[in-house]
Amino acid sequence: MKLLSYVVLLLGISFSAVAEESDSAKVWLERLSNSLNKLNFSTSFVVVKNNQAQPYHWFHGVDENGKELEILSLLNGPRRDILRKDNVVSYIEPELPPYSVTSQQISGPIPAILAGDISQLENSYDFISVGRSRVLGRPAQLIRIEAKNAHRYSYWLWLDQQSSMLLKLSVITKQGQQLEQIQFTHLDITEKPSESVLQLHETELPVLVDIPEEYQQQELHWDVNWLPEGFTQVNSNRHKISLTKQPVEFVLFSDGLVDISIYVNGSKDKQRNADFAMDGATLVLNQVKDGVEVSIVGKIPSQTAKAIADSITIKPPKAP
Amino acid sequence: MSESKFETVSSCVDNFQHNDSTFDEIINDEHLSTTWDRYHLIGDVLRNDTPDILQLDLSAEIAKAIADEPTVLAPKTNNVFALKLKAKIVELAKPFGQIAIAASAAGLMVLGVQSNVAQNNETILPSQIVQTIPLAGIAEPVSLNYPQPDRASQKQAFIEQQRRFRALLSDHQQQIKLGSLAVNVNNTDKQSEVISIDNKKANESNK
Repeated sequence: MKLLSYVVLLLGISFSAVAEESDSAKVWLERLSNSLNKLNFSTSFVVVKNNQAQPYHWFHGVDENGKELEILSLLNGPRRDILRKDNVVSYIEPELPPYSVTSQQISGPIPAILAGDISQLENSYDFISVGRSRVLGRPAQLIRIEAKNAHRYSYWLWLDQQSSMLLKLSVITKQGQQLEQIQFTHLDITEKPSESVLQLHETELPVLVDIPEEYQQQELHWDVNWLPEGFTQVNSNRHKISLTKQPVEFVLFSDGLVDISIYVNGSKDKQRNADFAMDGATLVLNQVKDGVEVSIVGKIPSQTAKAIADSITIKPPKAP
Repeated sequence: MSESKFETVSSCVDNFQHNDSTFDEIINDEHLSTTWDRYHLIGDVLRNDTPDILQLDLSAEIAKAIADEPTVLAPKTNNVFALKLKAKIVELAKPFGQIAIAASAAGLMVLGVQSNVAQNNETILPSQIVQTIPLAGIAEPVSLNYPQPDRASQKQAFIEQQRRFRALLSDHQQQIKLGSLAVNVNNTDKQSEVISIDNKKANESNK
């Protein structure tokens, strides 16, 4: 008798799961976005990649004026803090003097789009609600943001059934291999914003960086002839890479979830075969062809990066 | 088997006969030799001369030991071979070990040195083989001097590549931070435009 009731229960669950599947997945993601913007939470998570774990603290709150306050700190090694007061985001990092930019989102290990408009991703990804499991001691719903083709990775999200907060995130290849994981280790949701974020009111943020708009949209001497569908150009400029002082021509593409950087510069080498390294899911590809060095960086499979690099052509010099 | 033969065996055991031919006969006849064994054993027991552990068939044990001898020796030669092999593996593995340390120091995980894209493979491959052989240490016995500068330059190139990767990775993250700015600046600009237009409209309607 007991067994029979279990069977009935299981059937019930599986039927309802099939019925809700695709619709509910999007609803879950919208609820996540809402929670990330509206809730007062203090949480900790660990980014696991390359056999290393990086622990973070993350605080978020909404003050009485409806302004969002946010702090994200890396807990190991030199200080890396990101502070946000409404639409001013400040980065405190060892490489550069502290600076602020105007932005609605912080750029950390968790994709910013999860707090934004998820429907941007529908062209390139399918949303699938998979099932329930237990994460961080809570009942969780697994939602997959599944790449429509093999040019990208998929993202698996475990969301808290109660608050729709993120509990775990994995970056997975089409073959099912996990490249990177973010596991939450603690989650506190409170009525009022915590002391930590309210302190931001008293903190003076570093100076805003003023970047002229022309700088972000410069014309370059080359074309990218192939990209996976859904990527649009965010930024193109000429700058020097801070660590090597190498001047480069640079383009940043994004599909909302994934950013791809393309660097092109002259090289003293005539030819160098494509070589790549991976930092978690982030791939760095570098090759020299006929004295032109091309580098691709982004959370994409190596075949995609190689195809992008090979599609780049140098524009013929313009007649004066 | 005749009764007399057993008597002969018995007399031999008791040292009453010293005829070589009878001894040969006993040795060659399995039945007689076991009888010989048994008589000696009986004698030993009667004289209280038995060892602590009774080895009833010593000859068989010895024969087995001799038969086993080559297989006992065989692993020994194998061991020598394995040692040589191990030394070679260590030699081979060493340069890669150093690379592994450098890689972990750089915080980057090197997945594959070459990406395999079909079209370029034919031209890429030959030079690849030429490069890998000195790195693996096979060419070492020919000349000690030859591989060293090559290995050093390989290592140098590798370190340079790691540095390049790290620089690109950090620049990529930097640009994303600024890139999101570009999008937002555009958005806010549009928003402010919308607001100003609305204001104008509001002003106009006020008029």
